[in-house]
Amino acid sequence: MPSLTIDDREIRVSGGTTVIQAAEKLGIFIPRYCYHPGLSIAGNCRICLVEVEGAPKLQIACNTPVTEGMVVRTDSGEAEDGRRAVLEFLLANHPLDCPVCDQSGECDLQNFYMNFGRYDPRFREHKVKKQKAVTLGPHVMLDQERCILCSRCVRFTDEITKTGEFGIFNRGDRAELGIYPGEVLDNPYSANVVDICPVGALTESDFRFKARVWYLSSAPSVCNGCSQGCNVDLHFMLDRPHLNDRARLVRIKPRYNPDVNQWWLCDEGRYGFGWLDRARLTEVRGPSTDAPVTAKPNWDQALTSISTTLAGLGRGQQNSGNGTGAEIAVIASGQLTNEELFLIREILQNFLGARVSASVADEPGSSDDFLIKADKNPNTRGATLMGLAGPGAPGAEQIVDEALAGNIGALWVFGHDLVELFGEEKVRELSARVNLFVFSGTNENPTASFAHWVLPTAAYVEKDGTFVNCHGRVQRVGRAFPPLGDSREDWRVLLDLAGRLGMALDWREPREIFQGLARALAPLAGLSYEAIGEHGADLMPATGAEP
Amino acid sequence: MRFSDLEGEAGEILQRYEYPKAAMLPLLWLVQENQGYVPPEAEAWVASTLGVARSQVREAVSFYNMFHTEPVGRRELRVCTSLPCLLRGAREVLDQIENRLNISPGGTTPGGEVTLTEVECLCACELAPMAQLDERFVGPLEGSTLDSIIQDALVEPGDPESAPEPDPYISTAGPVLSTRFEDPDGTWMEAYLADGGYAATKRALTSMSPDQVIDEVLKANLRGLGGAGFPAGRKWSFIPKETTQPIYLVVNADEGEPGTFKDRYIMERDPHALLEGIIIAAFAIGSHKAYVYIRGEYFRSARRLQRAIDEAHDRGWLGENIQGTGFDLKVVIHRGAGAYICGEETALLTSLEGGKGFPRLKPPFPAISGLFSCPTIVNNVETLASVPFILRHGAARFAAIGTATQGGTRLFCVGGHVVRPGLYEAPVSITLRELIEDAAGGIRDGKALKAVIPGGISAKVLTADEIDVAMDFDSLREAGSMAGSGGVIVMDETTNMVEALGSATRFFADESCGQCSPCREGTGWIHRIVRRITDGRGSSRDLDDLLAIAGDMEGKTICVFADAAAWPVQSYIMKFRDEFEHYIHTGAKSRSDEAA
Repeated sequence: MPSLTIDDREIRVSGGTTVIQAAEKLGIFIPRYCYHPGLSIAGNCRICLVEVEGAPKLQIACNTPVTEGMVVRTDSGEAEDGRRAVLEFLLANHPLDCPVCDQSGECDLQNFYMNFGRYDPRFREHKVKKQKAVTLGPHVMLDQERCILCSRCVRFTDEITKTGEFGIFNRGDRAELGIYPGEVLDNPYSANVVDICPVGALTESDFRFKARVWYLSSAPSVCNGCSQGCNVDLHFMLDRPHLNDRARLVRIKPRYNPDVNQWWLCDEGRYGFGWLDRARLTEVRGPSTDAPVTAKPNWDQALTSISTTLAGLGRGQQNSGNGTGAEIAVIASGQLTNEELFLIREILQNFLGARVSASVADEPGSSDDFLIKADKNPNTRGATLMGLAGPGAPGAEQIVDEALAGNIGALWVFGHDLVELFGEEKVRELSARVNLFVFSGTNENPTASFAHWVLPTAAYVEKDGTFVNCHGRVQRVGRAFPPLGDSREDWRVLLDLAGRLGMALDWREPREIFQGLARALAPLAGLSYEAIGEHGADLMPATGAEP
Repeated sequence: MRFSDLEGEAGEILQRYEYPKAAMLPLLWLVQENQGYVPPEAEAWVASTLGVARSQVREAVSFYNMFHTEPVGRRELRVCTSLPCLLRGAREVLDQIENRLNISPGGTTPGGEVTLTEVECLCACELAPMAQLDERFVGPLEGSTLDSIIQDALVEPGDPESAPEPDPYISTAGPVLSTRFEDPDGTWMEAYLADGGYAATKRALTSMSPDQVIDEVLKANLRGLGGAGFPAGRKWSFIPKETTQPIYLVVNADEGEPGTFKDRYIMERDPHALLEGIIIAAFAIGSHKAYVYIRGEYFRSARRLQRAIDEAHDRGWLGENIQGTGFDLKVVIHRGAGAYICGEETALLTSLEGGKGFPRLKPPFPAISGLFSCPTIVNNVETLASVPFILRHGAARFAAIGTATQGGTRLFCVGGHVVRPGLYEAPVSITLRELIEDAAGGIRDGKALKAVIPGGISAKVLTADEIDVAMDFDSLREAGSMAGSGGVIVMDETTNMVEALGSATRFFADESCGQCSPCREGTGWIHRIVRRITDGRGSSRDLDDLLAIAGDMEGKTICVFADAAAWPVQSYIMKFRDEFEHYIHTGAKSRSDEAA
């Protein structure tokens, strides 16, 4: 454990730590372009120069291992002059086309220039011309002139995806970044190179010219694209709808989590958000009647009607009504938060005696041995913890069969498209068989048109809650912006329903529901939103090993 | 051509290397020798043969400038316009060749006979102005020799050529390195053995321990003669004693420092001396595999050294159980493909592993983690060729030849405006004045000396009154320059220092590997300013800018290339500032104006 001094502050770090890492522990940020903690050390950009006492010249902090008693200055005149010189070189052939560059505002050439710029430029020669606006693949565009040849992207495709698309061709100031002519950059993680590009050389096709980054707001969340639960930041824009075709969410960026996704995110997760602002359910739809529609049904009417029917069918009143022997069944979803699944369990299963299944045999999606998981639900593990999925829980197919057999009086489907799963005929028949068929979900789907009541609900970016990923880590999602139109969070709908059923629940919001959940479920014992924090928390080990 | 036809040869090549990717350059050479250039299908074939991405093959093809990506003429004429050739009229030679072949550099004659290429130093400055027709060096290109090479460029390859075999002044007096240089076809095994050859190897392998060999070389004060001057014995001692990894000896025969041509003579005229040095060094460091990395343009050196290796194998001086001593050593020649930076020892290793010639971050140093991440010693040709003498005649005798801190002799390469350009072996205590005035016959045409670069183009220039300095590493360092590679470039009073600097800055801009930002951007920036000045568009602030940019490049990069690129700029401008100012303020004449 060597101890060293950086800018007069002492720190003890483990052996093998580099100066740039030690400085970071002290909260001292040393500029960097080629250095990236997730990649091998290249040491080529030279911007991280620091003064090390006793060394004959400036050293690069990224490749200098700390030694006992080392004295480092990041803020001396010599170190700053070194950085100023390096930055001037990096800008010599840079096109300085910031006004038309998507990176502008989050560009490390701009950022470091604020501190280490030479505000009287000396470069008066013709700049080297290279290719601009090159389409590398479905998601990534290249501008060779903006590239500072830090090789982060080359190392990413060599070391992380091992697909090797990128190369730096030629030499000297003719060196240029590219992929092999005729090849396409379309590996499942291709857009990460945009995130790690410190300048505007690699930009997203999807985000191209959509918005200046300073118009974007950001909220932390967790990707709902599969059970890995990669941490993300949601970049959204509410006040300039004309820039993004009225869509609120503009882009998704990976958020560093050392235990889940490190710095990375797959393209599927990154670009799978179109549904958030397209084909959304935004209005309550009720049972069609012969009477002319004078007023659209509202939430109050819907929940009054639904709660009345459920109360009639529920435990205690069972078999007293229509004499069909019907009961209540729920097809829940691994897309719902723990808080919502918990309310389904407490209200529909435990209070009303419903049969609940979140075991829906979706077609497994693509997967790999890195981040992409075949289970495309973010919270199957949460549903399993609550006994709504996995061993012991009924399968969705069983429930559908029961309904078709006439044994189900009321069916509530959360989000799933039964038409896709079981075929249109079965769903049509089922719709006729049951007394009450409720569909609640975020988006239009064929099943919705067979439901008696359609309840528009909030997407995961529009509500607070938690998911448990496939490795047993509970993580928070947060409300980035309000639910679209008249849609409501599932938890809010369920709490409303509980009130109408006369259940005494004193939870008013997800945070409080989670407290109830943590008391009810041993694996979550002692956890709270605060304890989960930004990076999540592992479930209690006893259950952490569950399949 | 079908690439499947090459698979047999490719398989043999792959067997020489521990890792397939290391066969990158040999496979690309194989393609180019068969097809004349490297088409995209060949890149795909090489990629699949080596198991690498095509982008990595393209990186190599685009980095090394001897590979063609388009069809070329049936012959290639490479004309050197680097400083030593420039001083002796290379510009006019190139103009004449262009006019008479009616093509510009990069072009091919309409009948497809020859492609003309303008190249940086081919390290044959003793022949300046010179050119290389396919594999053959020709020069000086004056009078009928110039006519001959233009004629030869148009004949079928393999047909008789008219250009005479060059006959420069090459030292044969010894005492250490040049005693067998007389034979222009090289010294082969029989003659070498008759001269007492391999006695030193026998002594080391049969009567000494590796540590005793290292100790002997340490006592001899043998310094690394590639340019850095690091004590060779000390370098050898850095190999970890307890390593379980293979240890490699890598011979740096990537001679490329403009003004230098010594290693080529060792490889061509006395290859067994180098092989002996290799065997002894390998024994000392515990290596059983040596690679000799020879610059791509040195076709003949590679052929002759290979012949010597084959002879040594046949006679039991290489291979398994050398002369019954139980010591094994395999020597593999690896050819470069046109990149000066590969002379930097870590760039050489990266290149040998099949990558672009990118110098590596240090630490770790090669002795700890070098070739294929194993302990590796990289030594220059001349350094190793000095070793047999030390083992045969004793460290004391070698040390006594030199100074207190550097033993032995060097092969000094003297070029530029001297009466007799050539290769001169002399004790390192010889002064620069003696070398120029006595050995090389003084300045030609009775002109006065203006400036000298004492150790290759990277070394800081010395003025006419700074030449009473001994040529050993320490003396030249004290004099503010460096002994470097031993390439002495002499400039007389007619030399235009601005244009001389332009030659150096172009070289560094062409040859920067492009890895570190200060060097990649700085070398190009500097060259563009200097070219603007030589084009007559200089401004008064340019000189201060040049000095500032050069200063900003120094000491900020992975290797010392950027420093080497900065030193000429600093020393030329500081020592000849008046000339630079005058050049700028009088609206310097372009070359065509001067000619008129």
